[in-house]
Amino acid sequence: MLWALVGCLGATPGTTQPRATDLKSQSATPVEHLIVLMQQNHTYDNYFGTYPRGDGFPEGLCVPVNPAHPEGDCIQPFHLGADRVADLDHSYETFLLQFNEGQMDGFVQALNEKQQDGSLAMGYYDDRDIPYYWNLADEYVLFDRFFSSAPGGSIWNRMFWIAGVPGNAANRIPEDGFRDLQTIFDQLQARGISWKFYINHYDPNLNYRALGGIDFLDPQIQWVPLLAFDRFIDDPELSSHIVNLDEYFLDLQNGTLPAVSYILALGATEHPLSSLAIGQQFVKKLIQALMQSDAWDHSAFLITYDDWGGWYDHVPPPQVDAYGYGFRVPALLISPYAKRGYVDSTPYDFTSILKFIQENWGLEPLSERSANANGIQAAFDFTSPPREPRIIPWERACGETGTCADPAPPRFGVIYGMYGTALLLGLILFGWMFTAADVEGYRKDRHER
Amino acid sequence: MSRSAYGLRFVSAKTADEQRLYFIHAVTLLSILGLACVLRGFALNALGYNSDEAVYSGQAAAIAQDPILSEFFPIFRAHPLLFQFSLSLIYKFGVSDLAGRLLSAAVGVVTVYFCYRIGALLYGEKAGYLAALFLAIMPYHVIVTRQVLLDGPMTLFSTLTLYLVACYALTQRPLWLYASGVGMGLTFLAKETGILFVVSIFVFLALSPQIQIRIRDLALALAAMALTMAPFPLTLWLARGGGVSTSRQYLIWQFFRRPNHDWSFYFTTAAPAIGLALILFACLGLWVLRRKSSWRETLLLSWIVVPFLYFQLWPTKGYQYLLPLAPPIALLAARTMAGWLPGDDLQVRTRRLKGVSPSLLATGIVALSLLIPTWQSIYPSSSIEFLAGSGGVPGGRASGEWILSNTPEGTTLMTLGPSMSNLLQFYGHRRALGLSVSPNPLYRNPAYLPIANPDLQIRLGEIQYLVWDVYSAARSSFFADKLLEYAQKYNGRVVHVETVTVMSPNGIPISEPVIIIYQVQP
Repeated sequence: MLWALVGCLGATPGTTQPRATDLKSQSATPVEHLIVLMQQNHTYDNYFGTYPRGDGFPEGLCVPVNPAHPEGDCIQPFHLGADRVADLDHSYETFLLQFNEGQMDGFVQALNEKQQDGSLAMGYYDDRDIPYYWNLADEYVLFDRFFSSAPGGSIWNRMFWIAGVPGNAANRIPEDGFRDLQTIFDQLQARGISWKFYINHYDPNLNYRALGGIDFLDPQIQWVPLLAFDRFIDDPELSSHIVNLDEYFLDLQNGTLPAVSYILALGATEHPLSSLAIGQQFVKKLIQALMQSDAWDHSAFLITYDDWGGWYDHVPPPQVDAYGYGFRVPALLISPYAKRGYVDSTPYDFTSILKFIQENWGLEPLSERSANANGIQAAFDFTSPPREPRIIPWERACGETGTCADPAPPRFGVIYGMYGTALLLGLILFGWMFTAADVEGYRKDRHER
Repeated sequence: MSRSAYGLRFVSAKTADEQRLYFIHAVTLLSILGLACVLRGFALNALGYNSDEAVYSGQAAAIAQDPILSEFFPIFRAHPLLFQFSLSLIYKFGVSDLAGRLLSAAVGVVTVYFCYRIGALLYGEKAGYLAALFLAIMPYHVIVTRQVLLDGPMTLFSTLTLYLVACYALTQRPLWLYASGVGMGLTFLAKETGILFVVSIFVFLALSPQIQIRIRDLALALAAMALTMAPFPLTLWLARGGGVSTSRQYLIWQFFRRPNHDWSFYFTTAAPAIGLALILFACLGLWVLRRKSSWRETLLLSWIVVPFLYFQLWPTKGYQYLLPLAPPIALLAARTMAGWLPGDDLQVRTRRLKGVSPSLLATGIVALSLLIPTWQSIYPSSSIEFLAGSGGVPGGRASGEWILSNTPEGTTLMTLGPSMSNLLQFYGHRRALGLSVSPNPLYRNPAYLPIANPDLQIRLGEIQYLVWDVYSAARSSFFADKLLEYAQKYNGRVVHVETVTVMSPNGIPISEPVIIIYQVQP
């Protein structure tokens, strides 16, 4: 009868899950599964400006309201807290004003000129708001020189993410799609290397053809550039790789996680006004499922953000070509091979992901940008055995970077002193009992008293 | 022959006859203690800990500053820490369930020795051997002292105190009374319910007018007891770690908790484990030898009746709570046997043993009636029925070890109740929360954290595994059903099943799942 309990939820009793995987390892490094999650619209300083390690806010920072008068009013970074903030303008024009030819002092003015409260650009979050990300940074790798690929919004940057190029000059999806542009997925498909694009709440009927001449783009279309390619829509061989997120969890359970996975967290992207908590919970779920699976030992999970979202960042982005880089974005690497609590300051952009894929699976560079990018190998330590998975808690730990109150540890000296004395007393009593002679004389006359 | 202290007797023996006699004494005593060791040591670690054992060992590990287990087991819970502290001295060299049980078994063997000392003191050498033999093979004492429980050490110190009080009653020397105070303090430090024996002492003194006592000596003995007990309150106040608040909450909980067993519990569980024949002979002796009755029987009966009445009236009952009654019952039964066997030394008895006397036969019957169930209880076997305090939990250790090897560090599990949580935390090194732990502080042990909203915590990924077990399910089908509902609702996937082999009603061995672990994916 008890076996019914086991059977009712469809499992093999008495055994652990099979470790079998059909994936033939073709990777140059122990990383056989790369998972990349791209979230939305934050800068490094916006998330990690006050993080104790890494290149955060400079001491005494105060950004002028009007860069032409730097001696005038200025805005210091301030904690945003739980108040939701509207989407800040993050157009190319705004980038230019904020960048101010490398002066990095136009952030307030640029938004003011867009009729927004420019001081909001100086707001930041910390471990009260994003405790899980700070905990991840404590344990794994935080990148503090990870730049968005282009000084614009989602389209350019996400095109760099999959193709190493901006797609077009207009930072928008062409009416006839991106046509023959080669993507990393074309290369993977051609080489027979498994890949999937997981989308939370995926609607297979929604692609660039549904635009219908209107300018507003549905998030799924904006943030999944593959849905602007005819072949990825029409060819069943290719379109079958674009799937709902449920399959991510099934693939982990079944040992069928592909070599390269891209994920879109629709509904949990942290794009302002979205809840940061929901975004973190979503990420936590993805990472925990990976850690609970057999794939963990050969995987790397990269979290990054597609653009800066109008927020302040103090590091001038290098200008490597006509399209960028854009401002820094937060990025974290979680892997059993990731260096522990390491801040990687190597300059990267989204094409660094392509570079890693190309080098790890032996593919040709997709573009000049990706050919010249730094791969993310510096964040790994392949000389040590893979680290055991560790569920990263939501609550902030008390420690070097924590802000929580550290409860006073017990006074062990008191415990040892008190109970040690009692134990000693007991031993003395035993000893005395053994040597005391006076009771023995009473044994013979025991019935007389 | 001059009888000095026991340890000095052999060296002070003058003649070859005396030396031979003491050799026989030593062999007899060592044989009994050896038997006690065998019964307490055989297959000692065949089954893993039960919940209470895991808690006390976890506390010891926390005192030893084990970095992992101190996360799950706070130092201060309900009880004083003398035994846990002693175990922590061993755990400084590494935490091991076997080490904890070996210490407990050693405590049991020392108690057997004290039982001999009391018997020899009150009724002669022969009664001492018989009492020690009965305690050495008594299922109740063997079962409990094979576990890391506080009742074994409490029984050791209560038996020591009994000896010290008897010494005072014999000698009237105040030093023995002061030592009794220290013994009482140690009894309390082993487990707080040991304080009941203060009442036993007062009852004994009240019913034994021939025992003279000065108020000043009594006050000094009480002062010695208070000083010895002081580490308990002082560490709560001075050592931090939330001890005062936990103890206060624990007291409130104890007053408000619902009865866990009915009034007949001790009669149906403890009495058979002590030995019905043994109890019968103890009672028989009180009647048959009533003309020889003295303060000795009053003392032993005070040691039995006071704690028995208390635990019978107290709504919370536990299998092992009556353990301190075992030595005085063994002593009374031994008195009966010794009373029927004339002669006062081994030489006389050796001559008589050539014929089988009725009392020897009775002794054999009692001994066999104890030994057989003891052997049955310690011989490794599996069962899907479990009574707290009666032994290890089949499958518990293996499940914990599976969790340790197959789940990520930092994993949180949801079990049916806190008992399985304690086990899995000890062996699995993972946080485990009991679904049945009440959010109402009046109805829960303050050491346990309730799950305020299981649905939410599973959905947020704060709980990753659900653990169903047959033992807790037998106690609460409501929570068992609830846990399975959660498993169903959140795509629970069985990742591990722990089974035990049991006999079917028609005698065929079958494999029964006892612990099932589900991985949930909201």
